[in-house]
Amino acid sequence: MGLNIDNLWVINVAGIEIWITETIFYTWIIMLFLIVIAIIVRIMLRNFKEVPTGIQNLIEAAVESFDNFAINSLGEKLTYISPWFFMVFAFILSSSLFSVFGIRAPTADFATTFALALATFVIMIFIGFKHRKGDYLKSFFSPHPIFFPLNLIGELAKPISLSFRLFGNMLYGTIILTLYYALTPLFVQIGIPALLHAFFDVVFGVLQTYIFVILSLMYVRSAAE
Amino acid sequence: MKELAIAIGMVHIAAAIALLNGLLTTFGQAKVAAQAIESIARQPEAADSIRSIMFIGLALGETSGIYGLLIAIIMLFANPLINTLISLISN
Repeated sequence: MGLNIDNLWVINVAGIEIWITETIFYTWIIMLFLIVIAIIVRIMLRNFKEVPTGIQNLIEAAVESFDNFAINSLGEKLTYISPWFFMVFAFILSSSLFSVFGIRAPTADFATTFALALATFVIMIFIGFKHRKGDYLKSFFSPHPIFFPLNLIGELAKPISLSFRLFGNMLYGTIILTLYYALTPLFVQIGIPALLHAFFDVVFGVLQTYIFVILSLMYVRSAAE
Repeated sequence: MKELAIAIGMVHIAAAIALLNGLLTTFGQAKVAAQAIESIARQPEAADSIRSIMFIGLALGETSGIYGLLIAIIMLFANPLINTLISLISN
């Protein structure tokens, strides 16, 4: 773990260099972890029961609580996009929890958070055009056409502030932990960093995941209404 | 060499000044939290919804602090002006 994002391998594909950085590699690890969990859950849920027991109970509780959360913040008619946000929630949460093991969180790279925020932005525009059609375009020119640049900047600031908030919060935990590991002698590096990891990775990770998802849901809802 | 030393020292002072916006950010966040506690004390049955709104308010208020942090980090680790200065000196 360090301040810089290290480059692990360079792959040549038809003369184009593709850099496999730490972020991409750890994203693959987290994707593999989530896919394996999904496959295990799918196999265990093969005999689906009406009255849930064991693992089915746990999965149903997780999905149901996220569904209630999405209905509360999105409204009834937009809940069909909540699976995407459940995926975002699972990815950001597991990436910040994986950094407990000393790997650099993929969300501490601006590319990852900007990709997630850009996806929210695209969904926001798509939902706006789908639910309000011409009214959505007209809302950029309200209350008067002279406000168009202001409204456009306001819309473009949403993905930027969303991505910078998550990136900054994840990065400063990484920086403080790197400084701690670099500046202290070896005998205080056992045990005490666990508290710092618990604070910066677990507490802030869970809080920032929640904030990222709920702000995305609010942006999508405000585009549709 | 002396110009470079002055520029690097200035960059560190500028990064410290950029982080000073934490003062106002903290003040704003404290105000949000205080109001939320006051409303929860007045209406304990609405505590859950007030708490989620409080987190959104805290996150929105935190944005300016994060921008200051990012500006400080960019100035310290990825400053384009320092590279320009180095190339100017070496020429």
